[in-house]
Amino acid sequence: MERGRRVAAPLLGLLLALLLVPDTLALDRVAREGQFGPGFWPRLALLGFAAACAVKAVGEARRGPGAAGAAAPRAALSWVRLGAGIALVLGYVAALPLVGYPAATAAFVAAFMVLAGARAPAFVAAAALAGTTALLYLFVKVVYLPLPKGAGPLEAVTLWLYRALGIF
Amino acid sequence: MGELLGHLAAGFVSAVAPLNFAMIVLGLGIGIVAGALPGITMLNSIVLVLPFTYFMGIVPAILLMIGIYCGGIFGGSITAILFNIPGDPMNVPTAWEGYRLSKSGRTRYALGLAIMASAIGGVVSALFLALFAPPFARFALGFSSVEFFSVVVFGLASVSVLGQSSMAAALVSLFAGVFLGTVGTEQQYGVERLTFGLPVLRTGVDFVTVLIGLFAIGEVLDQVAGRDPGRRAAPPDARALPRIGWADLWPLRWSLCRGTGVGVAVGGLAGAGATVSSFVAYGLERQMSATPEQFGQGHAGGLVAAESANNGSTGGAMVHLLTLGIPGSAATAVMMGAFLIHGIQPGPLMFTRQTHEVYTIIAGMILANVLMVGLGFAAALTFAQLMRVPAPLLNTFIVAFCVLGAFALRNDMADVWLTALFGVLGFYMRRWDLPIPPLVMGIILGPMAEQFFLTSMVSHANDYTVFLRRPVSAVVLGLAAVIVAWPLVARAVTARGPEAGR
Repeated sequence: MERGRRVAAPLLGLLLALLLVPDTLALDRVAREGQFGPGFWPRLALLGFAAACAVKAVGEARRGPGAAGAAAPRAALSWVRLGAGIALVLGYVAALPLVGYPAATAAFVAAFMVLAGARAPAFVAAAALAGTTALLYLFVKVVYLPLPKGAGPLEAVTLWLYRALGIF
Repeated sequence: MGELLGHLAAGFVSAVAPLNFAMIVLGLGIGIVAGALPGITMLNSIVLVLPFTYFMGIVPAILLMIGIYCGGIFGGSITAILFNIPGDPMNVPTAWEGYRLSKSGRTRYALGLAIMASAIGGVVSALFLALFAPPFARFALGFSSVEFFSVVVFGLASVSVLGQSSMAAALVSLFAGVFLGTVGTEQQYGVERLTFGLPVLRTGVDFVTVLIGLFAIGEVLDQVAGRDPGRRAAPPDARALPRIGWADLWPLRWSLCRGTGVGVAVGGLAGAGATVSSFVAYGLERQMSATPEQFGQGHAGGLVAAESANNGSTGGAMVHLLTLGIPGSAATAVMMGAFLIHGIQPGPLMFTRQTHEVYTIIAGMILANVLMVGLGFAAALTFAQLMRVPAPLLNTFIVAFCVLGAFALRNDMADVWLTALFGVLGFYMRRWDLPIPPLVMGIILGPMAEQFFLTSMVSHANDYTVFLRRPVSAVVLGLAAVIVAWPLVARAVTARGPEAGR
């Protein structure tokens, strides 16, 4: 099962590369006479990638289940925690332009700290509030970074918060 | 020689004048902090201080920038060693070895090595600048895109020995990086390449977003997804200043010499810069090492070679600026702007018309690298205290800083999305035993290789043999071929050994 997965991954890469090659050929339509077109270099990279994937797949197929050189077993993994971690990171990025930097960051910090193993609610809450405030002062007041303020009425909330904190 | 020493002595006297000295120290401080923070690069800092130099004389202005330049190149190694987060691309090889050393409880040793290697590389480089600037610049001036392409290929070839699992895995990663480097709007024809209509990809994949995502967020996800996410990333070996003595450095003297040599030589090629120097020195060190199998596991020689090379490149990059008026790197291009603002045209005439200023700048560069030892140790201690912070808090704020760093690049949420997605990719690459460094190298060097290759082809009527007909290019490509072939030959010889013995 594990061996099948290790062979399938490079084969998937090979297939993906070959599927993209026609797109690079289409790019060369704008090329000037006697010159390399804009599709040449990405095509070279894709063909190199495909060839490397093929070699990797053959190597994995030849390798027995317990053969020497097999990758060392990785540390145990919690798929639930991984899924939650990825969801939190992507959700944080998605939420930034919608709810604004302060609210999204405070919520993310609290949730991610719990996921990462923090247990004391007071510690989590303090880190979320103090951390977000410190980041706001540093990056909005000092560096003038135009962080996302949120959409619709939430933008007004962010601006109110900025005024309350004296950074806007 | 006597005249040169006289000029240098006068330069030192001028460099230690209160204002000049203060600018060097201030620049070093800004550079080390900026270099250490992912997303805030040394180059950004030099650009940001440029407006402040309007109100200074040319010497303090350039000394401020040189301080940032030298400090910034070193600064990225601090977070690379402590948190596996290279502050700049040039510190990636440092992260490979330094972070492993740190994880094995040798944080102080790794930081000490990085500081000393950086300082020695920088001082030698500045001395090289003083002694050999005019003749070396004349030699490198003859280089065209053909030679530059060969040097970049050499850097890319060294990736074949950087893969920690297998050459095939390293090449999968490398070509993926080269491909990602082609995504976005192509410069020559202005067409969108492989963006699939996504506005996020229109401006291309910035390597800083890739760096932040793959290294920092990928590492955090790997820790959080583990069975014990609250564990510390490394033992808290940060109670005192980093320690390093001659007894530690002496066994690494040849690594230091090779790294510094590569740094000075590659840095002298306009456009090559600290990143290429660092990768080439690391690759060469692995080839020359008696223990190549220990690379990627915390090899002190690899760390020393990479750090001495990236600081060693600073003098080489300044050669072009001071003697020819051609900036040898992006950082020196900004410095050239400062010269022009003050009505001074850098070039050969500077050595005769502004001799005092030129040698004050060179002396300031030597001084900056010496001062970096003290300031670097203090900065490392400050950053090392972060290792005492509880892992959940540290991991969470690493992600928060990564998001800010990605956004600060261009104030564009597209960069933040790319960073997050590369973070997820970084996690899976770790789990699938695909080495991350070749991908990063492909993204950084791939576009440079494309540009130099296409320029060469236009200049030489698509004649591929030009790369072999020009001596410097042929030698460099030959070295690249040896680097690729060497592990294969060594493996074949090793495999044949037992059979022959039967």
